[in-house]
Amino acid sequence: MEGDERVRSPGARRAVAVARGAVLAAAALLVAWLFLLYEPPRAKRYPDREKVVFWHMWTAKWEKVVGEIVDRFNASQTRWEVVALVVPGGSLKTLIATAGGDPPDVMAQWDPVIPAWAERGALTPLDEILDPKDWAYLEKNMYPAVRAIGTYKGHFYGLSTGMNIWALYYRPSRFREAGLDPDRFPETLEELDAAAAKLFRYDAAGRITRIGFMPRWLSQWSAVFGGSFYDATRGELTLLDPGALRALEWMTDYTKRYGFERVQQFESGLTTSMGASWPFISGAYAITVDGQWRIQDLAEAKESDYRTAPIPPPEGGKPLACWSNGNFMVVPSGAKHKQGALAFMKFWSGVDDPERAAEFYTWGGWLPITPDVANARRYQQYIRENPEFATFVRVLASPNVQVSPPVPIQAYLMNRLGSAEDAALRGTLTPRQAMERLDEEIRREQRLQNAAATQADR
Amino acid sequence: MREHPWYTRLAIHAVLVALALPFCMPLLWMIGTSLKTPDQVYPKMVDTSVASFAKQWWPSPVQWQNYPEALAYVPFPLYLRNTLLLCALNVVGAVGASALAAYAFAKLEWRGRKVLFAIVIATMILPGEVRMIPTFALYRWLGWYGTYLPLVVPAFMGSAFFIFLLRQFFQTIPDDLCDAARIDGCSEWGILWRIVLPLSKPALATCALFQLMGTWNDFGGPLLYLNDQSKYTLAFGLQQFYGAYGGEWAKLMAAATVFTLPIIVLFFLAQRTFIQGIATTGVKG
Amino acid sequence: MARRNNAAGWLLVSPVVIGLLVFSLYPFVASLALSFCDFDIFNAPRWIGLWNYRTLFTEDPLFWKSLGNVLYYTALAVPLGIGFGVALALLLDARIRGLSVYRTIFFLPTIVPAVATSVLWIWLLNPQIGLVNMLLRLFGVEGPMWLGSPEWSKPSLVLMGVWGVGGSMIIYLAGLKDIPVSLYEAALVDGANAWQRLRHVTLPMLTPVIFFNLVMGMIGAFQYFTQAFIMTGGGPQDSTLFYALQLFYQAFQYLKFGYASAMAWVLFVIVVVVTALLFRSQKRWVHYGR
Repeated sequence: MEGDERVRSPGARRAVAVARGAVLAAAALLVAWLFLLYEPPRAKRYPDREKVVFWHMWTAKWEKVVGEIVDRFNASQTRWEVVALVVPGGSLKTLIATAGGDPPDVMAQWDPVIPAWAERGALTPLDEILDPKDWAYLEKNMYPAVRAIGTYKGHFYGLSTGMNIWALYYRPSRFREAGLDPDRFPETLEELDAAAAKLFRYDAAGRITRIGFMPRWLSQWSAVFGGSFYDATRGELTLLDPGALRALEWMTDYTKRYGFERVQQFESGLTTSMGASWPFISGAYAITVDGQWRIQDLAEAKESDYRTAPIPPPEGGKPLACWSNGNFMVVPSGAKHKQGALAFMKFWSGVDDPERAAEFYTWGGWLPITPDVANARRYQQYIRENPEFATFVRVLASPNVQVSPPVPIQAYLMNRLGSAEDAALRGTLTPRQAMERLDEEIRREQRLQNAAATQADR
Repeated sequence: MREHPWYTRLAIHAVLVALALPFCMPLLWMIGTSLKTPDQVYPKMVDTSVASFAKQWWPSPVQWQNYPEALAYVPFPLYLRNTLLLCALNVVGAVGASALAAYAFAKLEWRGRKVLFAIVIATMILPGEVRMIPTFALYRWLGWYGTYLPLVVPAFMGSAFFIFLLRQFFQTIPDDLCDAARIDGCSEWGILWRIVLPLSKPALATCALFQLMGTWNDFGGPLLYLNDQSKYTLAFGLQQFYGAYGGEWAKLMAAATVFTLPIIVLFFLAQRTFIQGIATTGVKG
Repeated sequence: MARRNNAAGWLLVSPVVIGLLVFSLYPFVASLALSFCDFDIFNAPRWIGLWNYRTLFTEDPLFWKSLGNVLYYTALAVPLGIGFGVALALLLDARIRGLSVYRTIFFLPTIVPAVATSVLWIWLLNPQIGLVNMLLRLFGVEGPMWLGSPEWSKPSLVLMGVWGVGGSMIIYLAGLKDIPVSLYEAALVDGANAWQRLRHVTLPMLTPVIFFNLVMGMIGAFQYFTQAFIMTGGGPQDSTLFYALQLFYQAFQYLKFGYASAMAWVLFVIVVVVTALLFRSQKRWVHYGR
């Protein structure tokens, strides 16, 4: 017998039975309504047009933005109908569908798949199917980083719909507090180091309560130091590049000076992708590096105590430098409506009408791919409304913006690069040892992949 | 059975309450977060006071509107309907087919029984990731890609997990019972239906619950095999809050709470079935 | 005895057999074949014999690291899970009020979506302001970095795993209720106290269910993936790079599907051997009361 049953009085038992019955009845009603009466909202459909299947990863409020862009495209011409499907979970579904022979016509992603997929023939070279006039225009006008991300082995595979650029965010109020002038942001990295030192705050027990500045992400700083992991002319990886090593040493200096454990204790649990709960907003950092999308987060949090500045170079480094990636659209090689896909991509990115596209970019707070869009009236207005955004547009045009090396083992490389950086910062290995280990790992992986290919050829 | 003395009961309560607190955390935190404004989702790092800690669990001001806003983001009734359909089919299929098979493994002797059981167990051991591509190819070849069929039909072929579980339970039912029924001329089906299944209600209910939860939460299957937003399920809807640049965490938790509540209610109400004693039937022992 | 009935036996398992033949056979055989191939998903697989296996064992340190990680996890999480699950079920089998509420509470972690529990635990284990370290500070202990530390990351995940013990608890509860009352009565007549009743009636009668959870727990632990994928991505310093996670990366990020298939089959062999040993051991300790 149930312990709790025995203790109940007949009145209570009846009450429970009634409650149970009520819940069951409510559930039955709900089910009946769902299956018999409910009519799901129907999307606008153009049955006579060629269907262009568009898979994208935009969720939450951006899904609505993308939906609006799709609607505008469909309304602007009569030949195609783009049907958008939100596909969360990264590129896995597209990978399998493409391999399985049922790819979408156009896919928007930011997983760094272009080198790996292009190498294996899974993507359509856009330079071959674009109208020559359009391609000439793009070739001449797109920003350096856009070109770098989309290009692989001489062909162009991905058209970016939103580049990401990183710069520094800082708090003028904290600057003033520390006796620094917020209008004269440090112009060299050495000055930044000195300013940061003044901006750290600690509690009575010596634990950090505010970080002045803490550099992370080697790809970022390697670009600033003028280093590079890739030699484009030789088409080879250069992981032992001295500029990159100097960057890592400088980053490690920070953790040594301020204590890796102490910093980590303060930082862990802080993730940098949580919308308006970004630690910069909560006051955890006085200066931090982050991307242009934070401008919208700051606006939503009604935070006005911030300014931006490009990352200052060290002596011998490169100005207006940063690492960049982007959301880009690709056309799988098995796609059936490639021209429709292209038309949609051109519409969105403003190849044929920069002024119209400028509006789309302001909805998402995205950075455009050509200066024509950036200079369009609507976009300039957006910049006027969000003046700090101008910093990012400025850096976007810089030739010192770097992207991840366009090699097929890019995914593995980035994974191990993070591990190497972590080992150096933690002090498990010296920066040089960490990079040497990374170089060794990558070389081994390349050798193994070549060996596998040779074996298969036999 | 005798009731425990009061001090034992008190001790048990004390232990249970102490243990229950960490277990309540996910739900309480989820509900608390669902009522926050975006900037309250993560605590201000510098503030370790009790007040701020308390605010993590119940914010002020309370944003009740996160709930209707979250539900409006995605076509919630549509997803619910699809999910209910899939759940019903999967529960019936999986529990039914598994019960039949478990009975055969537990109570009958037939050639090849041990080998087949070993094969069934072995199917659980190969990691699913590497089966994904051949399985996808198979479904495509069958023409089932883009439909619900890959998400429903396999259930009717039994589930190794349930077959194993039910076999364990069926094996504890005395053979004499079944033998007696056979002598009386009862068919195997009759034994199953009239003796074994009624004695196994808790185990069957457990299987039904697990399958329900599995289908309710299943995201991988729908992701891979569905291409039409009108067929998406609730698990999908939940993913749609996890944004590209950063989720709308408060609304995500609101959606997650709504997502979880039906199962909690179902479990709470159906407890008797899971844990039903068999003392009343008086058959065992 | 009429218990032997080939026709009925096969008829009853026919759906399962059909399912195996139609839905399982091809993927199994295909993945085995792919393990001997170089397959990048987009292009046709190419035969390379034992190359994948050889490389796995001799030239891939991450293979050994990920295997070690998962063995560590399994060795800790499975026994703890069983011990804790049984103990919890025994507590909830007592004659006290409010059982429904307690049972629901302990089952909650299993119901709440992984995305919510992951975020919750990242916050709980935050070294600075998380609940766990705050509690430790009350006792004057400065807690570790938990998920951010290579030494403590796996124990953190084990802790999370044990916290999800609600599912197996339900199964134990069902098993406990199946124990005939008459056995307890007989034990009482013999003068047994609570502890002896536990040792000689309850636990032995519970062994079929414990066996189930042991086997399933072990199989599941060897394939541990989700939480590591969501919360740590394998770090820090590959300390949470579990076998299944590494397999996933190899298959879908590095596009080495043949290599990943080889990894899968290595795991298969290991787990089948362990499972077979467990089944063999049934005779010694599992008690199917008849």
